[in-house]
Amino acid sequence: MQVREREATNPATQPQAPVFVARGLTKVYGSGDAQVVALKDVNLDIRQGEFIVLLGPSGSGKSTLLNILGGLDAPTSGTATWRDHELTGAGDDELTTYRREHVGFVFQFYNLIPSLTVEENVRLVAQIASNPMRPAEALELVGLTHRAGHFPSQLSGGEQQRVAVARAIVKRPDILLCDEPTGALDVDTGRLVLAAIAKVNAELSTTTAVITHNSAIAGMADRVLRLSGGRIVKEEPNPKRIRAEDVTW
Amino acid sequence: MVNVLDIKVLRDLWSMRLQVLSIALLVAAGVAVFVMSLSNYLALVGAMEAHYRNERFADVFASITRAPLVIVDRLREIDGVGIVEPRVAKAVRVIREDTNLPISGRVISLPASGQPLLNRLHLVQGRWPDPLHPEEIIVNAAYAEARAMRTGDTIDVVLNGRLQDFRVVGSALSPEFVFATRAAVPLPDDRNFVVLWASEDAVASAFDMQGAFNDVLMTLAPNASVPHVLEEVDLLLAPYGGTGAYDRSDQPSHRFLKDELAEQETLSMVMPSVFFGIAAFLLNVVIGRMVEAQRGQIASLKALGFRNLTIALHYFKLVSAIALLGTAIGLALGRWFAVGVVGAYRAFFRFPLLEAQLEPWLLVVAMLVSVAAANLAAATAVYRIAMLAPAEAMRPGTPPALRTFGWLQTIGSKQIPLQYVMAARTILGRPLRTLLTTVGIALAIPLVLFGLYWFDAIDHMIDVSFGRIERGDAFITFTEPVSADALYELQAIPGVLKAELQRVVPIRLRAGHRTYRTSVTGLESGSELKIPRDSALQPIAVLSDGIMLSRTIARQLDLDLGDSVTIEVLEGNRTVRDAAVRKISDDILGASVTMERTALNRLMREGDVGNVATLRIDPRQSELLWSSIRLMPKVEGSSVKALWLALFNETIGGMVLVGALILAGFGMLIAIGVVYNSARIALQERAWELASLRIVGLTRREVSAVIFGELAVELIVAVPAGLLIGWYLIELIASARASESFQIPAVIDPSSYAIAALLVIGAAVSSFIAIRRRIDTLDLVAVLKARD
Ligand SMILES: Nc1ncnc2c1ncn2[C@@H]1O[C@H](COP(=O)(O)OP(=O)(O)OP(=O)(O)O)[C@@H](O)[C@H]1O
Ligand SMILES: [Mg+2]
Repeated sequence: MQVREREATNPATQPQAPVFVARGLTKVYGSGDAQVVALKDVNLDIRQGEFIVLLGPSGSGKSTLLNILGGLDAPTSGTATWRDHELTGAGDDELTTYRREHVGFVFQFYNLIPSLTVEENVRLVAQIASNPMRPAEALELVGLTHRAGHFPSQLSGGEQQRVAVARAIVKRPDILLCDEPTGALDVDTGRLVLAAIAKVNAELSTTTAVITHNSAIAGMADRVLRLSGGRIVKEEPNPKRIRAEDVTW
Repeated sequence: MVNVLDIKVLRDLWSMRLQVLSIALLVAAGVAVFVMSLSNYLALVGAMEAHYRNERFADVFASITRAPLVIVDRLREIDGVGIVEPRVAKAVRVIREDTNLPISGRVISLPASGQPLLNRLHLVQGRWPDPLHPEEIIVNAAYAEARAMRTGDTIDVVLNGRLQDFRVVGSALSPEFVFATRAAVPLPDDRNFVVLWASEDAVASAFDMQGAFNDVLMTLAPNASVPHVLEEVDLLLAPYGGTGAYDRSDQPSHRFLKDELAEQETLSMVMPSVFFGIAAFLLNVVIGRMVEAQRGQIASLKALGFRNLTIALHYFKLVSAIALLGTAIGLALGRWFAVGVVGAYRAFFRFPLLEAQLEPWLLVVAMLVSVAAANLAAATAVYRIAMLAPAEAMRPGTPPALRTFGWLQTIGSKQIPLQYVMAARTILGRPLRTLLTTVGIALAIPLVLFGLYWFDAIDHMIDVSFGRIERGDAFITFTEPVSADALYELQAIPGVLKAELQRVVPIRLRAGHRTYRTSVTGLESGSELKIPRDSALQPIAVLSDGIMLSRTIARQLDLDLGDSVTIEVLEGNRTVRDAAVRKISDDILGASVTMERTALNRLMREGDVGNVATLRIDPRQSELLWSSIRLMPKVEGSSVKALWLALFNETIGGMVLVGALILAGFGMLIAIGVVYNSARIALQERAWELASLRIVGLTRREVSAVIFGELAVELIVAVPAGLLIGWYLIELIASARASESFQIPAVIDPSSYAIAALLVIGAAVSSFIAIRRRIDTLDLVAVLKARD
């Protein structure tokens, strides 16, 4: 049913082998009249350490694609692999292991645990990672050391989002996936969050994908992907990456 | 147009169907136990009242040796006496070819007109005896059933020492033999006790009682003074050998029935009410949490401009639907069980009509209580949420309390996994809710225990009464006192391992103005076949002087240790003598008065005699043994413990078993209802949090620990607490009502505690498995989109 196109990703044929390889990814919700095609035959390669920005109108399938790459969702058809991890057709346990060991997430709604303090939210991930930083170190990266003992509900939205970033990076993830990380933030706070993401990308060589509606952020990317109607309609390499501090919107 | 909120009611009911069902079953269990027990009790009371009314049960009873019928007019003249019915009632023996067991009985004369004025007969089968045929006879239905007698059968009766053939023309029920008991023998047995109704002529001529009577029934006029009537009757009948008139409270069948009803009242009112009350409380807890979990929705509805009342009405519909569903199931179940339980009682109490009653008010009460309990909970929860500003109520996932409980973080140097910290914070951060849930789980345990307790109590009662106190295998009653020679004769019969002679004498105890009719048992000192015991089951030595009383009698006569009580002997020389109360015993079955036999013989001014023999027998030789005993002179009747216990197990035992299983089963349903709902709602409240944990890479097992940790702590506290509450409630119920015939002891076997605990833990585990399946299938992506 699914055609594997392993040859295309043969490391020997490319200067820098892609870590993410997606072929023919299709996601269909519902059936019959109510059918919605969220992703249509998407092919995608992402290299180690690459910083990708996903742009596109609402409903274009950005989140769907990111969730499949993060092992949170399964496509209707097509394949996706990260290194030697088959992400499609994998069982829940394998996907959990994959997320646990390799992926850091940052979401628009932060998804912090309300009954754990800032430090504990970060430690929660550190406790299950194989080579984490100290939680304090991660909090320092996002500049929240002084709020470590507070609960999420005692923080502002931007602060909560920085905690989410700290939680995502504390395990030194191989992959950092961010779905509208600045969607709910003002410019200054958004910059802080982006800077933290960029820093991890640079220092840990973490493969990073960021969804945004803000095309200004695209300036930070190595490559910008534009989605529309469930397809990647445009791919633009960005040779002149700018720093987070220089992003304006 | 259909109200959109009403659609939401239906959709909510459907989407929460498992939860709805478990809550409905919780209600159903409470309602069913309530309806079953009350129907049963009301059926018994109703049957008794109808029987007494229809068959005109007398109010006053008196026996004499012999009095001319002219006395009847004098009795009628007594102020307060209504109808007077003289009759002849005598002890008889029945001989059957198919058994060697002596069968004792009573023959009672019927007026020429057939139906007497008082203590009428309810014919179950056949017809009235023809006055022209003195050999025609009616037998009591219980015996007819036990011995499979039909109309037309002959029955050999020894009247006044002469064997006579009678022909059975019918079987009947009588209000004075609803429960057929004999004095002197503690075990009733329908197969070995018969009541015969024969024509006046037949009885009078057999006993040489023409123109005379030896037994009289009377009704009381309205507003009659009972003590006054009894006194006047005694005065009038004393010259004729009157043994003292008494009212219904001293009539053996009625006394037993009344005690049983008092017991039933405890079982049927107190226990089911406690049961139903607990169920209602749990319903309250569960519904409260269910509504609380919809906090976000309530806030959104408010934000959209719905009025508090509209929202409250919405939940009223939702919650009432669940409560009514439960009530309907409960009524059906309760009705069904009641029919079964009442049926079992028919073998025990002989009423013309004993039917389970489903009184309309029971339906109304059951419905009102469950709907009210459910809505009270819903209303409080809705009110609490409605009082919040919508913005605040809409904010999801507000942590229970912004407290870290810092001491929670490490055990020694080791950090506690954070999923347990989360569980602990929820528990500690919402102490009231934790407490309610814990109490809820704890209360399921007494419900299960209530059921198991009946096994234990009955077991204990049988063990104590028939294993440790009454140790004989059989009893023989004699028509008149026999000397110790008879004892030697008995002991010589092969198969009789041991025999003891008791003297049982009907007496009236008098202390001041209080009296109590009973009989006193004279035991041999050092008696081995009957060993009186105190409440700690330690043997009480038979005293050489003074008497020993059951606590129930002592209480009724307001007597204490060392007090003096007057003993009025109701047979023979009618001695009246004072005696000191030397011991007060705690009998489980029946109330007794005990003396040493020789002391009783002295009081009776008689020789070394007795009228009851207790035997220990070799079961292998029982047939031969009974054939020899039957031929002994003066043997009146017999009673065999094993036969009686077998009968008991068939009737009461079966009933208790069914009742206990029902209670325990309902207790378990309730346990599941509470535990499943707590876990389910905890999940509902935390689904978002749990999904977030899953997204960052925690495994299903690690995530489950959050819910499981919470439940485990609640269980660890709830189970011992529940066992304690159960023990306490049973202790309370047992001591609240103690009748004379039964004193159900608060004995619970350790295994019952274990079973109750295991059932509740089992309910928790199965609930958790169901919840775990939901945790496993949490939709992670959906959680990322919405926060509620
Ligand atoms: N559970 C679902 N059932 C049906 N359709 C869905 C479901 N989830 C997503 N879709 C549809 O799939 C399409 C892609 O959704 P997706 O969330 O990937 O969009 P998006 O690009 O992230 O949009 P946005 O920028 O608004 O977040 C949309 O048209 C959406 O309506
Ligand atoms: Mg999206």
